[in-house]
Amino acid sequence: MNEVNNKSNSPISKSLKRPPLVTGKKTFKNITDDICALTEKWPGIGYFVALFSAKSLFLFYIAVMAAIVVVGMGLMGVNNPVNWGTDIITFVFWIGIGHAGTLISAILFLFRQKWRTSIARTAEAMTVFAVMTAGVFPLLHTGRPWLAYWLLPYPNQRGPLWVNFRSPLVWDVFAVSTYAIVSIVFWYIGMVPDMATLRDRSKGIRRHIYGILSMGWRGTARNWSHYEMTYMILAGLSTPLVLSVHSIVSFDFATASLPGWHTTIFPPYFVAGAIFSGFGMVVTLMCLVRLFVPQFKDYVTLNHMEAMNKIIMLTGMMVGYAYASEFFIAWYSGSHFEQYVFLNRAAGPYWWSYWIMVSCNVLIPQLFWFRKVRRHLVAMFIISIFVNVGMWFERYVIVVTSLHRDFLPANWGMFDMSFFDFGALIGSFGMFLTLFLLYIRTLPAISIAEVKTVAHEGH
Amino acid sequence: MKKDSSLKEKTKYWLSLEQWGKDKEFQSLVTRQDREFLTPLPSEKEAEGLWERREFLQLMAASLALASFGCMRRPTEKIVPYVKRPDDIMLGEANFYSSSYFDGEEGFGTLVRTREGRPIKIEGNKNHPMNQGGLSARAHSHILNLYDPERLKDPQQNLFNKEKSNRESIRAAYSTADADIVEHLKKGKAAFLTGEWPSPSSEHLLRDFCNKNSCAHFVWNPVNHSTLAETQKLCYGTALVPRLALDRARLILSIDCDFLGTWLSPTEFNRLYSQKRKANRDMNRLVVFESLLSLTGTNADWRVRIMPSQQLNLVLSLVHSLMEKGFVKAQWPNHLDKPSLHSYKDFHIKKEVWDQLINDLWETRGQSLILAGESNAKEAKKLQIAVAWLNHLLGNDGWTVDYTHPYRTWTWANRKLETLVENLEQGKIKTLIIHRTNPLYSYPNKKRLEAAIKKADLVVYTGDREDETGRLAHYILPDHHDLEKWSDWEFQKGTLSVQQPTIRPLYRTRAFEDALIKWASLIGTDSQLGSWYEYLKKNTIAGAGLGFSWNSFLKTGVYIKNPDQRERRSPARVFKSSALSSITHVKRTRSKHSDGEYELVLYLTGGLKDGSLANVSWLQEFPDPVTKICWDNYLCVSPATARKKGWQEGQIVELKKGGNSVAPEEGVSSKSDISSAKNEKQKKTTNIIKAPIHIQPGQADGVLALALGYGRERAGKVANQVGVNGYPMAEVLDEGQSISFVSSVPIDITSTSKKIPLANTQGHHSMEGRQIVVETTLKKYLKNPGGAIHRHKVFSLWSSHQYPKHKWGMVIDLNSCTGCSACVSACQSENNVPTVGKDLMLQGREMHWIRIDRYYKGTPEEPETVHQPVVCMHCDNAPCETVCPVAATVHSDEGTNDMIYNRCVGTRYCANNCPYKVRRFNWFNYVKKVEKPLNMAMNPDVTVRSRGVMEKCTFCIHRVREAQAKAKLENRTLKDGDIQTACQQSCPTGAIVFGDLKDKSSEVYRLFNREDSYSLLEELNTQPAVRYQVKVRNKKESDTSHEKDHHG
Repeated sequence: MNEVNNKSNSPISKSLKRPPLVTGKKTFKNITDDICALTEKWPGIGYFVALFSAKSLFLFYIAVMAAIVVVGMGLMGVNNPVNWGTDIITFVFWIGIGHAGTLISAILFLFRQKWRTSIARTAEAMTVFAVMTAGVFPLLHTGRPWLAYWLLPYPNQRGPLWVNFRSPLVWDVFAVSTYAIVSIVFWYIGMVPDMATLRDRSKGIRRHIYGILSMGWRGTARNWSHYEMTYMILAGLSTPLVLSVHSIVSFDFATASLPGWHTTIFPPYFVAGAIFSGFGMVVTLMCLVRLFVPQFKDYVTLNHMEAMNKIIMLTGMMVGYAYASEFFIAWYSGSHFEQYVFLNRAAGPYWWSYWIMVSCNVLIPQLFWFRKVRRHLVAMFIISIFVNVGMWFERYVIVVTSLHRDFLPANWGMFDMSFFDFGALIGSFGMFLTLFLLYIRTLPAISIAEVKTVAHEGH
Repeated sequence: MKKDSSLKEKTKYWLSLEQWGKDKEFQSLVTRQDREFLTPLPSEKEAEGLWERREFLQLMAASLALASFGCMRRPTEKIVPYVKRPDDIMLGEANFYSSSYFDGEEGFGTLVRTREGRPIKIEGNKNHPMNQGGLSARAHSHILNLYDPERLKDPQQNLFNKEKSNRESIRAAYSTADADIVEHLKKGKAAFLTGEWPSPSSEHLLRDFCNKNSCAHFVWNPVNHSTLAETQKLCYGTALVPRLALDRARLILSIDCDFLGTWLSPTEFNRLYSQKRKANRDMNRLVVFESLLSLTGTNADWRVRIMPSQQLNLVLSLVHSLMEKGFVKAQWPNHLDKPSLHSYKDFHIKKEVWDQLINDLWETRGQSLILAGESNAKEAKKLQIAVAWLNHLLGNDGWTVDYTHPYRTWTWANRKLETLVENLEQGKIKTLIIHRTNPLYSYPNKKRLEAAIKKADLVVYTGDREDETGRLAHYILPDHHDLEKWSDWEFQKGTLSVQQPTIRPLYRTRAFEDALIKWASLIGTDSQLGSWYEYLKKNTIAGAGLGFSWNSFLKTGVYIKNPDQRERRSPARVFKSSALSSITHVKRTRSKHSDGEYELVLYLTGGLKDGSLANVSWLQEFPDPVTKICWDNYLCVSPATARKKGWQEGQIVELKKGGNSVAPEEGVSSKSDISSAKNEKQKKTTNIIKAPIHIQPGQADGVLALALGYGRERAGKVANQVGVNGYPMAEVLDEGQSISFVSSVPIDITSTSKKIPLANTQGHHSMEGRQIVVETTLKKYLKNPGGAIHRHKVFSLWSSHQYPKHKWGMVIDLNSCTGCSACVSACQSENNVPTVGKDLMLQGREMHWIRIDRYYKGTPEEPETVHQPVVCMHCDNAPCETVCPVAATVHSDEGTNDMIYNRCVGTRYCANNCPYKVRRFNWFNYVKKVEKPLNMAMNPDVTVRSRGVMEKCTFCIHRVREAQAKAKLENRTLKDGDIQTACQQSCPTGAIVFGDLKDKSSEVYRLFNREDSYSLLEELNTQPAVRYQVKVRNKKESDTSHEKDHHG
């Protein structure tokens, strides 16, 4: 705990007193200044380089999507046995990423985990952007995206023609849209007091914008009372979503009759995987934030990072357990279709994807058993990247290896990613990063009000 | 607006002295004032840019009127009703005309379905005794050939330069062309070079013309049966190609003869073969000795791999063993060495098995049939004599070998193409008219032929495009397409069938026969012939004899002389043992080959055959029934050969054929290779082709096989540069009389490091131990028909669908199905199924609604092959229906699973969840790419699908509706058999039965519930509406026992 500045001299209090969550002897003014500074100062050249790169990637993404919409789904690598490809894989990937934000902000909030305060805002922002990024894919992957609104049950003149409520894709529409709405509202409500702070410190047009966004926040006791109540309720509302969204996404696979998809383990397995990948992404982003915004080091301390790394290790092992139990169940079920699919995963033509998945998700996070690794920024950054890669491959394995060899061997085929597949996958990071970079410079990236409650001052 | 400039002149009063004095300044002022005050409406010129009050009001009114006009309904556009419709055309209703189809080798009766005056589909004619409703894939594709955008639209004249190469083409008029041709014909030294087509009237007219105008006549048909006819003459005295009554044969022994796939008359043979293929005590047995894995071989009960060079030895050994056993009493020809008693060892079979075969042959004597292919033209004569001898010894002549109804072949024809070449070279022939043949594509000695043809003064070609031969013609006078033309056919003796034009010629084409008549009258040799139609009618009536009615002939399409005689047994002919003297020098090599000693076999595929219909995309995308590859030909090698040479699938190898006079020829296997090939072309002068390797299980080791019909250079956008042309690898024999598709000339093979992907529609060839095609042996089947089926206990928690009126179902008899794939083309034609091209096929984006899955069992060296047609199963518990988010695929109350294209968003979840993977997605807008006039071939009853929607087999629901509407109009209920799906209709073996499962008297109900029927993937409880009947092989226990050292 080299960074912990422990003031107490008595050995008892030394051992009993928790290390402070915010370091650097921050006063409330320091905190406000530190966090607001990011939105108030003109960013350096480094930021613009990053934003320009991200935006260029985003524009490339838009071009790729436009080409697919104009010319046809056939530009991507999907084909007859493998009817779902990069779009669905990446959709599930991004939805999974989003889970950490909700988990941190809602569940950890309900469990009174104070350490969440300094990472909650950014994790929530990540959730919102990840869900937005994810939301594009189901639209993009349909054959006729301009008609995708037919998946919504809205009153219409066609009979009325209703959606098929038995289809998991319809459940998906509800799950993802609910999730997106609740996440955005939760994120925004949390930001209201901070918006008021920004408003009070700014002049001109900024003052107006933040004024509108702060919704007339005056910081009165009444304001705070209502705010805390609302926040608590929203946290309560979000909590089941952490479990439900990815469970429902997993139903897309679990309710299908395809061997390799048709398994009951999918909902918990997907949720664990989502949290796993979400924390991976938070660690990735936080490492970058700490690198590029040095004043945040006092708020996002190594203790935070270590806590998240522990969760990564735990969920990684849960995912590993799921991988193992799938094999066991395949053998135990006695279904030779099921057995073949799992053997094919590990030893078939896509063996490499399976072993990338296992090593990235199960083996590599085991390094977090070592405290040094858990607290080493470069190490955790690399591992978190592996986790992100591994989780993308998990979805790749589930989608592609199950589809490419199913019941009738005559239909078996292969899936090759085309330029457009890679374009959509890589481009989606452009969208995500553009949003994230804009966010970090325009909105309070750490909850000013909440951090103050855990700051040293006043304790 | 009224012009009022004169107003000023008329003013008689003056306002002031200035006006009176005509002061200029005042004048201008007044003019202005005039405009402002006096003149109510200024002149147009003056008013420019100014709106007066009235004008403003007018404009207001006008714009109001215009605005309200915009809200009106669409302006009336008068259309003219179809009041004076032709009597026989009812909008929205199909008309059927009986006609015939001839593809250069086989022919049969057809019904052409036309809608609003345009032919849209070809169906089989039930009245025709040969196919009885069945059809081949090629016949279906004929319709697309009619609408080929690259057909010549006008007669064309090619203006040559001195080298006869660099030319330009102009449109010609028939009159000038005729005048020019007649002038040349009058000079004499004229010759016809034609294909062979069994039309009595046409043949009569042409021969007449040649005789009267002293023209020579040569026939060039790369695939012909003249050798067979000739040997029949040697053996029995008359040259004919006998009808082969497979339906009478209990044992069929085929030696490199793919009669179910491509040989002679496969559609008819499929039908006849299946008649005795029913699983009962009378079931036939098919034994195949062959070098390639042909479609016939895949259906064999017992199959043995031999080298092409062993064919003759095999037949003689059979005869000898029959004699040795004392079964057959005949004189062994003195000049021939007796085959060794152990000759069976040459074929790697055990003694017991050989003995069993000999016993079987004797047991089934009189009811067996020995068939041999003619591809090895060098040996073909000897082989056919030996086969005729064996058939004679076994007493098959007159019964299974029906010489009374032979196939019509031009036994009189002069096939010596080399003679023509010499005559052309020596200037003995100056005018050449080429009809129904494309020798510059299919003649192996192409360069010499080309040089010779260039020497002619006038070359006339009647092909439908400027193809390989047309390029050298002075005039191309395109013949009508067969669907636009009158003709009569006599495919088999005594069975006349008509070919009616079903559409007015699309372009300025002219029947070849009309041209002959015209030329004859211009020359003056014959001016009383009338039109071709009149000639044909007269000739047909004269030839048919009494009891013939022209009208009923057109109606039924067929006229059979002495129909009873077809069923009768004819007395065996007397075998002339003198024929045996032609058999000399029997090779008795074991098939073990040393390095570099390969036998090249050129074979035909069911899709492209001789290559004449190569520009039809349906045929290019037609998965080969055995290899399942499309859009390419390839060099098939056995797995052992590939292993030995280190060849991999798709690897390009170079075949060099040395030591013969074949012209330099360069073939390339794919378009990407063109540039590199061009570079090499300049260097190399020997005969080289480059083809990708395909490792074919079941092929004899040391045999290389290449399909013909590919590598067209000038056939059109579809066919050009697809695959390689194999013809230059064939050997010219007997002065060009025949070509041998089996080459014994040493071939140099060089492997290259290049590899191209082959568009294989089936990625995996083993059933992986799953219950997919259930197969059993006859012995087991007779004991317990359903014994081979593993039944699963399935139950559902839910109540099932209710079907108040009908429940459509289908039963596919795997035992009858030979895998010929005619249904694939039928479905494509019926349901407007698009073709996608090689690149998309490689990506697994084929669109066929029905596919034939082909699985191998056993070892790659000796596989047993099964075929399984797979359509949409129309499951009662359809997995696709539950997962569609927008309810675009729903269950009907008649049991079908309906696809609503309009509603489909394209999530493709249904396709993922379909265990049978029968759903096809429109990845691109395929319909937009259909070039005019190919759109005319579309079936208006079936919607074309746009991009982004799913499609699949509909059970031909439009046919169901049509039949229901018809029954309702006729005030009756539907009968079993009223509805025929397109696949069922064209199946020559009758393997597919469709009908109402609620109707307990229906055929489909009976078969559906029979104990030998099973559903595919029954354990998933999808409850398919399609069931399969088990495949039965008439196996003997000895069949699998091969000699141990087989693979050498």
